[in-house]
Amino acid sequence: MKQMTTWLKAAALTTGLLAFSGCVETAGTVVTTDHATGNSTILESNTRLKNEIQVLGVNYDEVNGMKRVNITLASAKHRRLRVDYRIIWLSANGMELDPDTKTYRNLILEGRDAVTVTGVANSPLAVTSKMRVRSTADAD
Amino acid sequence: MKQMMIAMTGAVALAMVSGCATPDVREVALDRAPITSRLEPQDVRRTVEKMAESLISAPGVKEAVGGARPVLDIEPLKNRTMQHVDMVSITDSLRMQLLRSGMFRFVDKATSGTDIEFMDSQAQLGLTDTKKAIKAGQQSAAQMYLTGALSEIKNQVGRTVDQYYKFSMTLKDLRSGEIIWADEKEIRKESVHPVIGF
Repeated sequence: MKQMTTWLKAAALTTGLLAFSGCVETAGTVVTTDHATGNSTILESNTRLKNEIQVLGVNYDEVNGMKRVNITLASAKHRRLRVDYRIIWLSANGMELDPDTKTYRNLILEGRDAVTVTGVANSPLAVTSKMRVRSTADAD
Repeated sequence: MKQMMIAMTGAVALAMVSGCATPDVREVALDRAPITSRLEPQDVRRTVEKMAESLISAPGVKEAVGGARPVLDIEPLKNRTMQHVDMVSITDSLRMQLLRSGMFRFVDKATSGTDIEFMDSQAQLGLTDTKKAIKAGQQSAAQMYLTGALSEIKNQVGRTVDQYYKFSMTLKDLRSGEIIWADEKEIRKESVHPVIGF
């Protein structure tokens, strides 16, 4: 009976853990850059990702009349990291410009490495860029 | 022991019966994690985005036509892989992104036959005001055209399949014959077959 109770507790614990495994955290790091004023804000909503990836710097310029942003990401870990990032563009009144054409791109960061990612606006109306980084393991 | 056996039998029976349930269907993100080493929609989307951004930021394109918006056409990419990939769909997506950027104008010779049908029906059926009918010989001419290819290299060692794809594209000036822009996107994926299973 005592052994049976132990088995039932183990089964209940296993079931509970399996149920919770569906709760994947997809919050990430967001870097918003206003190309008119030059201000950049970094919002790190995922504690685990925040300890793994750091935003070292943001640069921006214009090419062929289109805004371009370069963001340097650095790994704080010694192991290889896999993350996805996506750069979307917003107009002066905050509307996303063709968001469906901007994809999540994958990025492999070697240990303690820094990589610069680039995004080019898809419209001359773009004034703000927003980059979102998420852990590849949290993707669907 | 007997009770434990009954409980385990019940659990196994429940697991088997659950196979009769209706399949679980849900909508997923367009850029989901890879589920196969073959080419997937997110690979194509990323390629189109990269090519469009590269072409938009290319320095030599506008200079080649004196600063005006160049008129382009697109040849469907050549598929040099063993997979069936809708290359026309890929070029359609690329044309859509370039067109919406406002930097380029496009013609489409693939629909020239349809253009002629419309013009013939306007000219010959007698339903259209002849003054308003569109006459042949007025369309813009393509100054440049995009072309490219998709190739693959596949290796298998034991249970590991290593698949490499390369999309390459070029923009060629029709007048001078020069290649104004070229870029490529490489994708490499690996899949490991399970020890037990298919």
